[in-house]
Amino acid sequence: MSIEKQVDSGRRGLLVATCAAGGVVGVSTAGVLVSTFQPSERAKAAGAPVEVDISDVAPGELKVVEWRGKPVWILRRTPAMMATLTQDEGELADPASDKEFQLPMPAYCKNPQRARKEHPEVLVTVGICSHLGCSPSSRLAAGPQPNLPNDWPGGFLCPCHGSTFDLSGRVFKNKPAPTNMDIPPYMYLSDNKLVIGQDNEKGEA
Amino acid sequence: MKVFAKKLIAVLALVPGLAFAAEGTYPLDRAPERNDLASLQNGAKLFVNHCLNCHSASAMRYNRLRDLGLNEDQIKDNLLFSADKVGAMMTTAMRPDDAKAWFGAVPPDLSVIARAKASPAGSGADYLYTYLRTFYKDDARPTGWNNMVVPNVAMPHAMWQQQGIRAAKFTDQPDPHEPGKTVHAFAGFEQVEPGAMNLQDFDTATADLVAYMTWMAEPAQHTRKRLGVVVLIFLSIFSFLAWRLNESYWKQVK
Amino acid sequence: MGAYEETKLPADAPPSAKALAWVDDRFPLSKLWNDQWGKYYAPKNFNVWYLFGSLSMLVLVLQIVTGIFLTMHYKPDAALAFGSVEYIMREVPWGWLVRYMHSTGASAFFIVVYLHMARSLMYGSYRKPRELIWLFGFAIFLCLMAEAFFGYLLPWGQMSYWGAQVIVNLFGAIPVIGEDLSLWIRGDYVVSDATLNRFFAFHVIALPLVILGLVAAHLIALHEVGSNNPDGIEVKDNIGEDGHPIDAIPSHPYYSTKDLFGVSVFLLLFSAVVFFAPEMGGYFLEYNNFLPADSMKTPAHIAPTWYFTPFYSVLRATTADFMYVLMAAIALFVVFIWLKSRLAYRIKVAMAVLGIVLIVGMLPQVLDAKFWGVVLFGSSVVILAFMPWLDHSPARSLRYRPTWHSILYGVFALVFVTLGYLGTQLPTPAFTLISQICTLAYFSFFLLMPWWSTMGRFKPLPTRLTFTPH
Repeated sequence: MSIEKQVDSGRRGLLVATCAAGGVVGVSTAGVLVSTFQPSERAKAAGAPVEVDISDVAPGELKVVEWRGKPVWILRRTPAMMATLTQDEGELADPASDKEFQLPMPAYCKNPQRARKEHPEVLVTVGICSHLGCSPSSRLAAGPQPNLPNDWPGGFLCPCHGSTFDLSGRVFKNKPAPTNMDIPPYMYLSDNKLVIGQDNEKGEA
Repeated sequence: MKVFAKKLIAVLALVPGLAFAAEGTYPLDRAPERNDLASLQNGAKLFVNHCLNCHSASAMRYNRLRDLGLNEDQIKDNLLFSADKVGAMMTTAMRPDDAKAWFGAVPPDLSVIARAKASPAGSGADYLYTYLRTFYKDDARPTGWNNMVVPNVAMPHAMWQQQGIRAAKFTDQPDPHEPGKTVHAFAGFEQVEPGAMNLQDFDTATADLVAYMTWMAEPAQHTRKRLGVVVLIFLSIFSFLAWRLNESYWKQVK
Repeated sequence: MGAYEETKLPADAPPSAKALAWVDDRFPLSKLWNDQWGKYYAPKNFNVWYLFGSLSMLVLVLQIVTGIFLTMHYKPDAALAFGSVEYIMREVPWGWLVRYMHSTGASAFFIVVYLHMARSLMYGSYRKPRELIWLFGFAIFLCLMAEAFFGYLLPWGQMSYWGAQVIVNLFGAIPVIGEDLSLWIRGDYVVSDATLNRFFAFHVIALPLVILGLVAAHLIALHEVGSNNPDGIEVKDNIGEDGHPIDAIPSHPYYSTKDLFGVSVFLLLFSAVVFFAPEMGGYFLEYNNFLPADSMKTPAHIAPTWYFTPFYSVLRATTADFMYVLMAAIALFVVFIWLKSRLAYRIKVAMAVLGIVLIVGMLPQVLDAKFWGVVLFGSSVVILAFMPWLDHSPARSLRYRPTWHSILYGVFALVFVTLGYLGTQLPTPAFTLISQICTLAYFSFFLLMPWWSTMGRFKPLPTRLTFTPH
């Protein structure tokens, strides 16, 4: 009787050990296979930071570049445009950019201009509406226009479902879009050259 | 003494060539093992400077050179030869049509050449090591160069400025298989003009280059072998447990 | 079918038991498990040779799973294929490991399957009533060879390209329709992008589905009749009081643990290759295949992958001179049938007529050696299917046959391996002669088996299985 009990506990020990080892084999194989889903070197290289020369962007003009397959807007705002940013905050859903969309909000852009302090007039934002992913159209001029309120300060209007954003890419209240447009990590290499997708604070995104 | 040693080494370096019979292929020298990072980095430098003019290595991404202990700035400053971004592939600017017109053949892509050239005669590294060191002056060829491993090759001697210009000596010897006939037998190289390196340093540099090309052909090989040790140890333990488990059940079968 | 009756378990039964009962009332889950494995009673004297069936299934699963993940990154386009394989090797996280598992798995599949077939030859597992298991297995082997052939084109290297070119051109040897058939298979005048795309479809989905179906049929046929064993006697002749054969044991847990041990040793050997020798000296990953396919330049030395080389040797051995030897051999064989066999008169006449047709066809003016080479190449594979009807030995297993039978099987194995080796080498006159002798030996082994398998002094069959306890 006791010998059987010994065999049983010995066998159970082996069973547990073998199953555990077999589990390791299975999990590591599964892990390897699932890892192949991760972005490849090719995808990561295509998503590398982009250098942009903004010497050709005059005040009031918008330049579009591609980063990680998405449009990034570089808008050099006039002083008049800059003035609206503190005035329209009552109309905004999230004036301090507390909520995030797809990218973490860089700390150095947590201000009404949503820009680096070296050049607060230059807005760098990912031109994708936070509702369902369309790219909004520019409505940079202030004043009444079709589909826009009479006190329109200037900004962007998304054609798909009507969300509106101000000249810092912040969404207005009661619109389909839930959050402000993303600000990517970026930094200045010189006054007229910036790199999107990389900053000194955190390195490459 | 030093001079004598150098001369001795120079003569000994010719021995494999002298052993070469008239018919058959040129015997391959063993490529020296050069697996340290310094040699591989030197090999990368030689590759980028001397090979990417004509050849591409289009499966090799520049930033993979980080595996050789270089950082992106070092790669950008010293090795980024044919592209402007460190994430780009090692391509060549020479167009295939131009290459065909100028050389008669398109220079093959070198990404996996070290794996392709293995054979019963030697490893791919042995082949490349021997090939790169046996160019000789031949005015009958369009490029002015010929090669012992690949007779009448379309490629010129890319590193002639380092090895210098050598000629190959041939003698007519009686054919061992057909009496009365002679065969053209290789009888060694002679240095016509010295190069920037002496022959021994050139051999070392070529060894570095070939070691780099061997690494480039399979950058994962180091990881593969290290992981393999862990996997085999683990599976040995697993096999032992499975064996004991099996025995614990079969003991009862009469 | 009776009315639906819900299985009622006591209220304090564990939820898992209740869940299982719910499923079992609607789907024969427990029954399937018990019939196919759990309570499938198998002879207790299975030895090492009996591991290769389950190992074959393991490798099949391995190839399918690694294949699925490779297909996520591979590009079946002539311009992109070679580069996409290097992309997998260098840029896809762990891609190199998945690729090496798949390439090593292909060779491992053939090693395991050849050993599995060898077991059947040694113990007579194809004999009545198991002929259908053998035939399904033969069909699986054919599909496996096709699967390997189609898969080999996908890396689009020099060996891939020229190997496919040569084999598709073999079909051109068929008289009258050959050239059109080759054109239809290729979808182009030479192996090209069209060929690559259709081979990709065959390799990735068409053949795997067929193979899975055949494996299911193979196992169903096996479980219907019950397994053979190294002694070659039927365990079902000796039923015990519990309704199961006395000399059999339930597969679970005994063969679960034994097969698990077999799997662990296999994985050890498999991993040693994957991590330390994936090229295996150029036999598992050919060196020439690291050169992108070039339709203008044929490599100096084309050989098929190692697992095809025995049959390839037979093809190459069939030279114009060899045709005369074959004609003489056929004539001798027909004479032998007439004098020695006890077949019906009609059949003897039919075989004589067939013999004459073949001999006439082998005349140089009629059909050339290239055609007959293809015929012999195919026959060297197909003849395996006839084993159940060629082997007339009174004992199934080699253990109870005269010792010289075992020696003959050993010679056959040597002939097979020799043919395999010769297939990897360039054909010199000496090698060609040896492969011709081996070809004659190979076919004689099978075609004369109805006679020699009955000859000699057989050992008495045991009534109970021979089994040494652990």
